[in-house]
Amino acid sequence: MTILDKVTALLGEGAVLEAAPDRVPRVAPGSPDAVALLLGTAHQEGWRVRIEGAGTWLQSDAPADIALTTRRLDRIPAIEPSDLTATAEAGIGLDQLRQQLADRGAWLAIDPPGLAGRTLGSVVSTATAGPLRHGYGPIKDHLLGVTFVTGDGRMVQSGGRVMKNVAGYDLTRVQAGGFGAFGVIVLVHLRLRTLPRADVTYVLEGAREDLTQVGEDIAAAGLTPAALELVSPALARRERWVLAVRLAGSPALVAADEAGLGAASGGGRFAPLRAEEAHAFWMRLAEGFAVRPVTFRIGGVPTASDELLDLLQHQLGDEWISASPAAGAIRWTGDASIDRLQRLRRTLAGQEVPLTLERAPWPLRGAVGHFGAYREGVGPLVAGLRRTFDPGGALVVATEGT
Amino acid sequence: MSSALARDLAAIVGERHVSEARAERFTYAMDGLPTHRRVPDLVVLPGTREELIAVVRLLAALGVPFVPRGAGTGLSGGALADQGTVLLVLTRLNRILQIDNANRRAVVEPGVVNAKLGAAAKPHGLQYAPDPSSQTACTVGGNVAENAGGPHCLKYGVTANHVLALEVLLADGSVVELGSPGGEPWGPDLVGLFVGSEGNFGIATKITVRLTPLPRAIRTLLADFTSIRAAGEAVTTIIASGIVPAALEMMDQSCICAVEDSVYAAGYPRDAAAILLAEIDGRNVDGVVAETEAVTEMLRKSGARSVRSAATEVERERLWQGRKKAFGAMGRLSRDLVVQDAVVPRSALPHVLETICTIAQNYGLVVSNVFHAGDGNLHPNISFDATDPALKQRVEAASAEIMQLCIDAGGTITGEHGVGIDKLRYMHLIFDAESLGAMQAVRRVFDPRELVNPGKVVPIHACREWTSIRNAKFGMRNDTTGFNSAFPIPHSAVEVTR
Amino acid sequence: MTEGRLGFEGLDACVHCGFCLQACPTFLATGDESDSPRGRIELMRALERGDLAVTDPALIYHLDRCLGCRACEPVCPSGVQYGHGLEAARARITAARGTTLLTRAAVWALTTPGVSGVVYWFARRLRSVLPRGIAGWGRIRFALGMLVATKGDRGRDEAVNGGRRRATPTASHRPVPPRTAQLFRGCVQEGLFSHVHEATKRTLSVNGYETREVPGQRCCGALHAHAGLLDEARVLARANIQAFGDGDEPIVVNSAGCGALMKEYGHLLGEERGTRFGTRVRDVTELLAGDGKGPVAGAPLDLHVAYDPPCHLLHAQRIGAEPLKLFAAIPLLQLVPVQGAAECCGSAGLFTLLEPEMSRAVLETKLEHLRHAAPQIVASGNPGCLMQLGAGLAAAGIHAAVRHPVELLDDSYRVAGRYE
Repeated sequence: MTILDKVTALLGEGAVLEAAPDRVPRVAPGSPDAVALLLGTAHQEGWRVRIEGAGTWLQSDAPADIALTTRRLDRIPAIEPSDLTATAEAGIGLDQLRQQLADRGAWLAIDPPGLAGRTLGSVVSTATAGPLRHGYGPIKDHLLGVTFVTGDGRMVQSGGRVMKNVAGYDLTRVQAGGFGAFGVIVLVHLRLRTLPRADVTYVLEGAREDLTQVGEDIAAAGLTPAALELVSPALARRERWVLAVRLAGSPALVAADEAGLGAASGGGRFAPLRAEEAHAFWMRLAEGFAVRPVTFRIGGVPTASDELLDLLQHQLGDEWISASPAAGAIRWTGDASIDRLQRLRRTLAGQEVPLTLERAPWPLRGAVGHFGAYREGVGPLVAGLRRTFDPGGALVVATEGT
Repeated sequence: MSSALARDLAAIVGERHVSEARAERFTYAMDGLPTHRRVPDLVVLPGTREELIAVVRLLAALGVPFVPRGAGTGLSGGALADQGTVLLVLTRLNRILQIDNANRRAVVEPGVVNAKLGAAAKPHGLQYAPDPSSQTACTVGGNVAENAGGPHCLKYGVTANHVLALEVLLADGSVVELGSPGGEPWGPDLVGLFVGSEGNFGIATKITVRLTPLPRAIRTLLADFTSIRAAGEAVTTIIASGIVPAALEMMDQSCICAVEDSVYAAGYPRDAAAILLAEIDGRNVDGVVAETEAVTEMLRKSGARSVRSAATEVERERLWQGRKKAFGAMGRLSRDLVVQDAVVPRSALPHVLETICTIAQNYGLVVSNVFHAGDGNLHPNISFDATDPALKQRVEAASAEIMQLCIDAGGTITGEHGVGIDKLRYMHLIFDAESLGAMQAVRRVFDPRELVNPGKVVPIHACREWTSIRNAKFGMRNDTTGFNSAFPIPHSAVEVTR
Repeated sequence: MTEGRLGFEGLDACVHCGFCLQACPTFLATGDESDSPRGRIELMRALERGDLAVTDPALIYHLDRCLGCRACEPVCPSGVQYGHGLEAARARITAARGTTLLTRAAVWALTTPGVSGVVYWFARRLRSVLPRGIAGWGRIRFALGMLVATKGDRGRDEAVNGGRRRATPTASHRPVPPRTAQLFRGCVQEGLFSHVHEATKRTLSVNGYETREVPGQRCCGALHAHAGLLDEARVLARANIQAFGDGDEPIVVNSAGCGALMKEYGHLLGEERGTRFGTRVRDVTELLAGDGKGPVAGAPLDLHVAYDPPCHLLHAQRIGAEPLKLFAAIPLLQLVPVQGAAECCGSAGLFTLLEPEMSRAVLETKLEHLRHAAPQIVASGNPGCLMQLGAGLAAAGIHAAVRHPVELLDDSYRVAGRYE
């Protein structure tokens, strides 16, 4: 029996999709239990499994015996607008989820990079936050709990679907940003906000250092934007750097912040974007990070942002960069060699700045790793967690690199 | 426990910082939840990070289990040390190591008192947002271990949302650094995993927290209701409106009266069935004013008898002190107190609150509710006299029924107090065997011998049984060997913890 | 208190919330639960239950190390009566072990009529020749420092007792008829701080009170009560009740420790007349503050003053606002905020002699904060605190004098010419 035969026997024909471009059989379990069955079997049979969502973010090129895609896990079991919580399966596309939430007046305040149909599971497992992290925090702040399947097919739940929960260890945190190394997320409990009744975006073009100053002035003026993003000219497709400010919330709050914006713009003039312009602007920003071969993020302290941007420009060239200076988060996309990335990571490590590789073709990803080398004493802990959640090493994830 | 160990420990921390006398150990037999009582064998109070490391290394070498403890204000029996266990008290590690104004963060030792960190941040125009009610006494290290919440977590988030990096002393005495000063994890988010691990993964020796700018405008509203249901519905209305109050707290009549009888009397109306304390804050004064008007209107429409706004900072402080000291004030109602901590979906509040009343009546008990309504985080407190065994049994039964009610409503067994030993018995109600097994396995990644805070959080004794029961339910799994195994467990911890 | 649980029942309300911990100076000094109110309550409960023997050395050690400042009481949401519990526990301990020789000697020397007079006479002679710099951290030099601190300020001790300060004030500035108050003189206060009594009389006079001397009064008994010598304290209490008679006029006290106990004579004796006596006792600042209007304003004094509220005033008597009214009546005088001002200075009656290690540890924190606040004068309304602070400031090389708040008001009135 081939692997495919076994999978078909286990999950039925409907679960087997067209093979991936690299001819790895692609399997789409239709339920969380089916994921558990598949991984249980894979563990027993010694199959290597790579995890995919919609296939729009991480390259589908890891060497594996099967590709497990979550794309048929696309149900939304619960949306509770009065509680501002929702439960969604991991394979739901963000665009679909957003739409359904919006229909109920609810909003998931994340805007991760990638194409519109990127799956929720992909966003959570890679913890890729977008510009809204400035106002609403990293991905983990939006999670109430997850259910995941371990590499040997056990289903584990952590957290819950209420606003506060300290029952048991917070295994959700390991899954968020674990890149699938500790299991496959199948179900996510989300913390929502009400759909902002006012949502406006302003942009200001200028020299990077001037815009950085404006950003600081905005914070000092007491404004509380949802996003305050510094975008490189290439990414924004403009002449100069762009500072984009998104104000979202109640009309009263937004109006008050709009009034304060002019005063804080340091002589420059913020231009408001029409709703469809704003949508296009943020969309382009998100999609930009899914088209070049390599994307990574780094996180430093806010006061280091300027220096870090200089470093990136210096070491990798003036590519596509988007930064949330107050959150100390910078994302870069472009083309880079293994050698350059490793050198950059070492330099950054000296400044206590982690570099997390988000996307890259397998040869590069496999060598550099999403995380690279851990700090002293942490390696055994991560290895222990991997053994716990994937005892057979079935899940193919480039965590450390080679 | 041998006094040879006491001597060795004294050689590290100094004689006066090791307590061996029975009387001294008595004083450490309880935390903030005196329904549980365990007398530790030995109490050690290291004065520096280096002493702490040396102490843990010594204990690890001898295989002696130990329990870290901050101020002992926890409410789940989480900082109690059983026989054969050494209690490590961290109150002397109370230095604020750094306040980085520009980057809005602080680095502290675990014994720093929450409110003292807040006071140190204030001159910089910053605050440490998590504000558990015990903040005048509890330590940041304890907050990290329990993932402490507090009234203002509704808007600002709980401790986990504010911890950026940690230096952690593992059970084997090794030191690891987790997270980075910017908050981006270094690999998997081990900081997030550590926060709320109730001391089972090690001891945080340095804690880097995020500070947030102080709000420029604060409005505090006191609304009083003639029915608990109406108050619960007001909460739902406000949450659904999209306005995120900094805090939204509820207190019922029995609690109101206890506070009003205390030194923290806040002027709450004694004849109200419930009051809501709503706070709107922000950096933008106009926005805060507008939102306050909107919330006031919603409170009135939901049936508030009156809505009062604190006119001065003194009055505001008084309203809050009443709320924050309410738990302590319960001592006025009776000699003993069971403090519960459950969370329900916010829309379920009216139903759950009414049912709790009914349960209390059925058992003939006094239940006082004081809680974080905006989060749906309930604290039903049952006052009783523990010297009456029959009464004690009724309290136990009522507690269990309340827990089941909250779980049935889609909630959980603890929102901020932690599992400790108090909630162990409820863990199987919300987690299946696989999930409990996974937790246990993760714990053993950090602490294979289960030396730190043994016997807390995960009810291990039943883990394997549950696993087999669950596996039996999945026919497929029983056909295949390998599924029946529990999570890989490096060592048997049982004999170590004996 | 003479029947039933003798004060232990005051501890029943404790639910172990721990809100008292950070209010306790000894806990702040050691971080040890056994040195905290909550921990000591556990010790006292165990003592009452019989789980710990009255002779248990660790129990005695940690209860002895309690300052008795009762800073834990006002922060307690449950209203635990810690002070009553402590007195009950100490009485049991004292009954079992007897009083230590040092305690016995100190109480005898400081409070026994006929003896204390001689002691104080020698002390006054001694302090007149001692320089401020004598103060140090050793037992003896600290004690000498305490003695020096009892001098009236700026070396004007002599001027206080002679010359124009003695002048009888002119007519009251408050409406007639002048009310009368009985002056409680005490022992340490009388022996070493008689200038404060004088200032009390003068300032009260300006504010419409004529003070009457009461013969036959004795020591208040506070030192005895705190040492667990409750029976001796009761004898003194009865003598004082006798001496002050059955009138209605207020009994004015300018020593917070004395006032705190005298207000609780009812609890001490378990007798109605004790309670009645207690209701008449007033701290001098209470009388001066009047009905909230505050005392008559004096002349400006250009001073930076740190107010250090005595525990027995702030916590035991819950008097916080009244002393501030005295300072407010002195134009130009500026109160400097001091971190942890409400925390004990470590004096606590005989504590500073009996538990020097803990006492100094507590004082050290206080001095650090005072050094930072840099006042010219530290004001406090209790003789023990003034001595402790004075010695500490001198030993630490901090240039600030210690004064009783009424002394400052007195100065202000003198400059204003109210005594001419």
